Parts: sequence; C-alpha cells; structure tokens
Amino acid sequence: MEKTILIVDDSESIREVVSFTLESEGFKVLVGVDGKDALKFLNGDNIDLIITDLHMPVMNGIELIREVRNMDTYSRVPILFLTTESQTAKKMEAKEAGATGWIIKPFVPAKLIAAINKVIR
Amino acid sequence: MTSMESFQSRFVEEATDNINDLENALLLLEEDPGNKELVERVFRAMHSLKGGGAMFGFDTLSDFTHHMESVYDLVREDKLQVTKDLLNVTLDSVDLMKKLLINDENGPDEASGEYRALVSRIEGFLKGAEVNAGQGPASAGTTGIAEPEKQGVSTYFIHFVPDKDIMKNGTNPLYLIDELSTLGKTQVIANTCNVPDIKEFDTSKCYISWEIFLSTSEDVNAISDVFMFVEDDCMLDIHKLSASDLLNDDRFTREIEGYRLIESEIGINSIKDFVDSLKEEDQARQSQSSKKKVTNGRDNAISSIRVSSDKIDQLMNLVSELVITQASLSLYTENSDNSELQPIAESVQKLTRQLRDNAFSISLIPLESMMTRFQRLVRDLSDELGKDIRFSAKGTETELDKTIIESLTDPLLHIFRNAIDHGIEPPEERIKKGKPGSGEIVLKAFYSGANVVIQVSDDGAGIDPARIREKAVEKQLITPDAVLNSKELLNLLFLPGFSTAKNVTDVSGRGVGMDVVKRKISSIRGEVDIESSPGEGTVITIKLPLTLSIIDGLLVRIGDSQYVIPLSVVDKIFAVEHETLAGAYNNLVVLDGEQVPFYYLREEFGLAGDPPATEEIVVVEYENVRIGLATDSVVGEYQAVLKPLGKFYKEQEIISGATILGDGSIALVLDTNKIINQFSNNNKIKEELS
Repeated sequence: MEKTILIVDDSESIREVVSFTLESEGFKVLVGVDGKDALKFLNGDNIDLIITDLHMPVMNGIELIREVRNMDTYSRVPILFLTTESQTAKKMEAKEAGATGWIIKPFVPAKLIAAINKVIR
Repeated sequence: MTSMESFQSRFVEEATDNINDLENALLLLEEDPGNKELVERVFRAMHSLKGGGAMFGFDTLSDFTHHMESVYDLVREDKLQVTKDLLNVTLDSVDLMKKLLINDENGPDEASGEYRALVSRIEGFLKGAEVNAGQGPASAGTTGIAEPEKQGVSTYFIHFVPDKDIMKNGTNPLYLIDELSTLGKTQVIANTCNVPDIKEFDTSKCYISWEIFLSTSEDVNAISDVFMFVEDDCMLDIHKLSASDLLNDDRFTREIEGYRLIESEIGINSIKDFVDSLKEEDQARQSQSSKKKVTNGRDNAISSIRVSSDKIDQLMNLVSELVITQASLSLYTENSDNSELQPIAESVQKLTRQLRDNAFSISLIPLESMMTRFQRLVRDLSDELGKDIRFSAKGTETELDKTIIESLTDPLLHIFRNAIDHGIEPPEERIKKGKPGSGEIVLKAFYSGANVVIQVSDDGAGIDPARIREKAVEKQLITPDAVLNSKELLNLLFLPGFSTAKNVTDVSGRGVGMDVVKRKISSIRGEVDIESSPGEGTVITIKLPLTLSIIDGLLVRIGDSQYVIPLSVVDKIFAVEHETLAGAYNNLVVLDGEQVPFYYLREEFGLAGDPPATEEIVVVEYENVRIGLATDSVVGEYQAVLKPLGKFYKEQEIISGATILGDGSIALVLDTNKIINQFSNNNKIKEELS
C-alpha cells in the first residue's frame, strides 16, 4: 500500500526538496504551509506520517503536534519534526508534545528516508 | 539543470523573500520594539535562512545567520532588549546576508572584513546578555552525515526494553527491530513474560522486550542511532560479543534456538560465557537490502505557485501574437460569406480578450514589494544626515506591471533621496519655522482610469522658484529676461544637467538629476509632474500606464491610413459635417452645447486626398482638458499590441507606437495625452503673448 505523508513547512524550498525526495521514493505526499493549513488534511484517516517544521507562522509545529495527538484518528500517527536545533530543549518540548522523532536540518535525502523508515513501513 | 540546482535557485528566491520580510519586520520593530510578534517574525525568517542555507549549500549564509538567530533567541526570551544599536547591527547583517546569498566566489566570505566585523559586533550582544552562546553553528558536521568507517563484521547483543507507554507517540518498536535487521543479520528473541492476563491487557501499551543478536559491519553508534528517537523511552543495552559473525556459526545459532524455548530473559552474562566458550572465528558474508517502492502520487494543495519571469514574458508574447492573429481572423470573417465562421470568430475574440486580461493580471505585482527599500532608505539616510523623518505609504496594494515596477525603482529612490537630502530640513531649522521637528514623507498610490498614480510628498522646505531661475540663467538654460510662471520654472528641473543643491552631497546631487527621472518614467510611457510651495513641501506625481504591451484602442481612419486612439481617454464620438469643421473659427467646434477645440488630423499629419462629407470627431479628455480629434471615420474598437517605433521616430511625441492590423497593415497609436499637453501649452503661450 502506498503510504501518505503530510509535510508541513512554511519554507517552500524545504517543502519542495522533501516532497521531491519522498515522491521519488514512492510515497504519496501532501503539503501544508503551516500548522493550521495542515489541519485540513487531517479530517480523514489516510495519513500515515506527518513531517512538520517547528517554527511556522499561524500555528507552529509544537501546537500542531499537540492538536494531532488529541485527535482520535491520529493519536498514534507517527510525527517527525524538522529542526536545526542541536539543543535538547526544543527536542524535548516536541517529544513531550507527542512527536515520534526528528530530522535535523540540513539533511541529505538518505538521512530523511532513514528517519522515515524508523517510524513507518 | 539538476534537481539540486533547481532547488538552489528556488531557495535563492525564497531566501530573498525571507530577507525582505526580515528587513521589513526589523523596520517595524524599530517603531514598536516591544512587539513580540515582530520578534517572532524576525526569528522565524532567520531560522528559515539558516536551515535552508545549510541544506542548499549556502554554508556561509547559514553560519552567519546562526549568529544573528542566537541574538534574537535571547530577545525572544527577554534576555536582551531591542535597542537602536541592535537594530543597526541587524540591518547591517541583513545587507551582508543579501551579499552572501549571491554565493559568489568574489563576494564576502567568513574571512572578509565585513563578515568578521559583524560577527564580533553580534558577539558583543551575546556577551552583553551574559549568556553562553556556545552552540556551534548548524553546519553539516553536527548532524553526523559522514559515513562511518567500514570495518569487519562483528556480532552484538542488544537488550531492548521499551517503556510500556512507548507507542503513545506513534513509535512502533517492531520497526526499530526491523531497522536493526537492515544493518546486518539478526536473530530476535521476543520476551513475552510480562504480557498480562487478557482482562488486564491494554492494547495501547507495550509489554514485550527484545533480545537481539546482530552481526553487522556497522559500529555501535549505528546501532544506537536506530534507537535515537526512543533513547528516553526505553532501557537499552548494547554489547559487542565478538569481532566475527557468530550468526554464521551453527553452534551459536543452535544455542540461540535453545534460548527461544526458555520463557525468561537470557541476560548478557550467560551469552558472554557461551561466546567465550566458542573461541572461534569465521569469515562471513552479510547482506543488505533496501527496497524501493515505485509508485507515484501527487496531491498538491498550495494556493499559489512561483513561476519564473521568463515564462511570464513568454506568455505575454504569445498572448500578443494571439491577439494579432485573432484580428486577422475577425477581418477574414467579416469579408467572408461563411455564416458559420461568424460565431466562432466572435468567441475566439471574446476568449482572447479574457486570456489577455488574465495574462496581464499575472504579471501585475503590488507596489508593496518596493516599500521596504524606501523605508530602509529613509531610515538610513535620515540617520546619516541627522534628520528625523517618518515615512508612510498608502495604497501600496495598487498593482502595476512587473516591468514597470522594475523601471520605477530607481527613479523613485532618486525622488526619495532628494526629499530626504534637500527637502526635509534638519530638526532645529524645522522648529524655528514652527513645524514639527520630525519631517514626513508620504507615498500615495491609486488607480486613475487606465493609469496608476504614485505621489511622493514631503513637508520639507519646498523648492524656491527664484533659485531655479537664478540657476537656469547661470546654466544658460533660459535668458535672464525670460517670462516664466512658477510651474514652468519647476519644469526646468527636468532639463538635463540641472541640479539645485547648494553642495553636492554624498546622498544626492551626484550629477544625476530629475532629468534622468523624467527620462526613465517616459521610457515606460509615464509622466512626471512636480509641484512645490516654498516652506511647505514638494509633491512629485508620477502617472503610469497599467501595462505596456497591449491596450484597448479605438481604430480610426483618415484617408488610407488608420490610427489607434487609446480607448481609456476617449470621451465621446460625434459626427460632424465637413463644412462645419472647415469653417470653424480658431479650430473650435460646438459639441453638446460646449465649445471644444479640435485638431484636424488630416491636416496635422499632412495627408493627401479629399475628406468625406461627414467626418467624425473623437473627443478625448486629459487633466480636465477636452479636445477633439477630427478623423474621416471611426472603424471600431481594437485591441492594439503595441510595437515600438524605430529610432527615426524618436524626435516626435504624438505617436507612442505602432500596431499590426488584421490585414497585416500598420496603424500608428496616438499618444493623446501628449497631444493635449502640446495643445494646452501652445494655448498658454498664446494667452501670455496676448
């Protein structure tokens, strides 16, 4: 079964490079430009993984993660967040909010795929 | 273009937006230093620049932005105040970021003076906040992308005991075990002794722990990396059992099969004992596999897309060609007996018009995009000159063709420089004159018919007509006894080489004057006008066409020639007997009970042949002046694709271009505004002479 990944990032270039990488790996990709925008994809139950940036206007990544964890359908969906921070503080906050794991920017495609393979099959 | 290059160029576009947004937010922050939202916006822009920069190979930009980001992180946490000093450094940094984004080998790098000076200024702030800013920049190194060194195959024992709640964050421990198996060969033993009775069983909890034997050529870091997301949510032990592949050893695998039958954990000690007892080494193979799924799907939900301006230019060209072709079709249809062709040609015409309007709206961009530059200019220059100037803009949502905006930036910057440097007085002087100490520059933009008007006004000293006269005489532009009203004196400013500044300053007066502004504005078919009252200020008004390439026109015929009059200026069309016009006194004709001066175009253009008995006068209006243009007949509405005239037509002003008609012949497009201007100037001169 083709897996569907929702990418949430306010940076178009990041969205593009991530979509490009994932699509060439055979994933179906949905894109949201911020947390609020991403919510519109979360009505159904077709999403297998969410990859979100943390710093975004309107609704940031942490808020999105909390929101998703409160949904019946997606309380267990794997969520990876993108971060440039090497500090543990931000990571802890996101993990506490319910994130499954993280991807540190900058990343090469192989790193991205590796992180995804940790959480979905 | 490889995909990386295309991502890079996309990043550059986006980073440019980010830098502009950053600059804009900083300028707003200066007005409202306590605004948390703005600080957040600044931080976010920096954050994106840093992350993206590192990903797309702009390491210097990324490293530099990291320094700035650290500072604004402190601001976010209220450990640092937004001060004028900080904003100065930040804005200078923004300038450097712009240069770094070009990624030019000759541009600044970490070693350049500018870079180092800024970093040390930034570090001053970090130290000032007494916070250890010891986090290294987000270079590629920190993420451990480097490949581990390949080594021989070793065997590891991994004891993985997840917390019961590990699955609540979307972690599936089985995937981690699967991932381990991609590192090499595994033997996995699941320990189910903690699984409770079915009545107490909670499906959201994980009751299982695992003991895994892994033979791999990867090192222990690669193994612990598998568990990186769950480090805090489990108990994990990793032991190296042997520097050989024990899983290829029958004796060892038989032993493991034996363990499977036991219901409790094996434990590292008994394993170690067994391995010691084996004392044997083997060479082994290993396998790695990675599957690639090949399917594709795309469900893109972005409401706007970015298109290169080349593509838009191309689209506009194609639309222009289509408009010309459509005109041919209409003409052919008119002369054809085929009645079925008529509706087709009409709908092609309708669609072409819609397509044209649509294509135009694509290339329109709001003036807003230029405002940050002006705001910045006002801020930096007024600081430099010790003046206090506020800048505000109204109607910046007004849209103009992108090529017009591009050609407009330089003239506007010049007008701003003039206003800041020569217009607004220093605070002391203003107060002496009874004005508020801080000056004001206002930009106002609005639509006016088929035009956009941009007004830049300042409340400065204004321009003294006496000084202009003095200067003009000195420069021999006018004779000392020339009679000129103040408006005409102001218009002298547009003559080449005129500059009224007492001293040539660093800011303006570099020999580039209002003449260049006028020339640039004219080159985009715009007009510029200046009004000034000494002591009160100056208003510069620029009037621009909405678009440069296609206009709605009225096609008229005079003899064998056809001309296009822009529809936007046409007021009314009247049929008049030739006798009336020929006998008109002083070229005035009464239309709708009103005297209207008219140009007899046949005569003006020196066209041969006899006029028809009834002629048609097109009345056009500009700046409340109405004049008639007498033609043989009006052909009809026409979409004119403007083609520039060659250099031989440079010296005249009443024709703005040419267009190709459906039958392939050429029609000249009249610049009615210029005709009216010429007409009213002539009249004024007449008035003054009389």
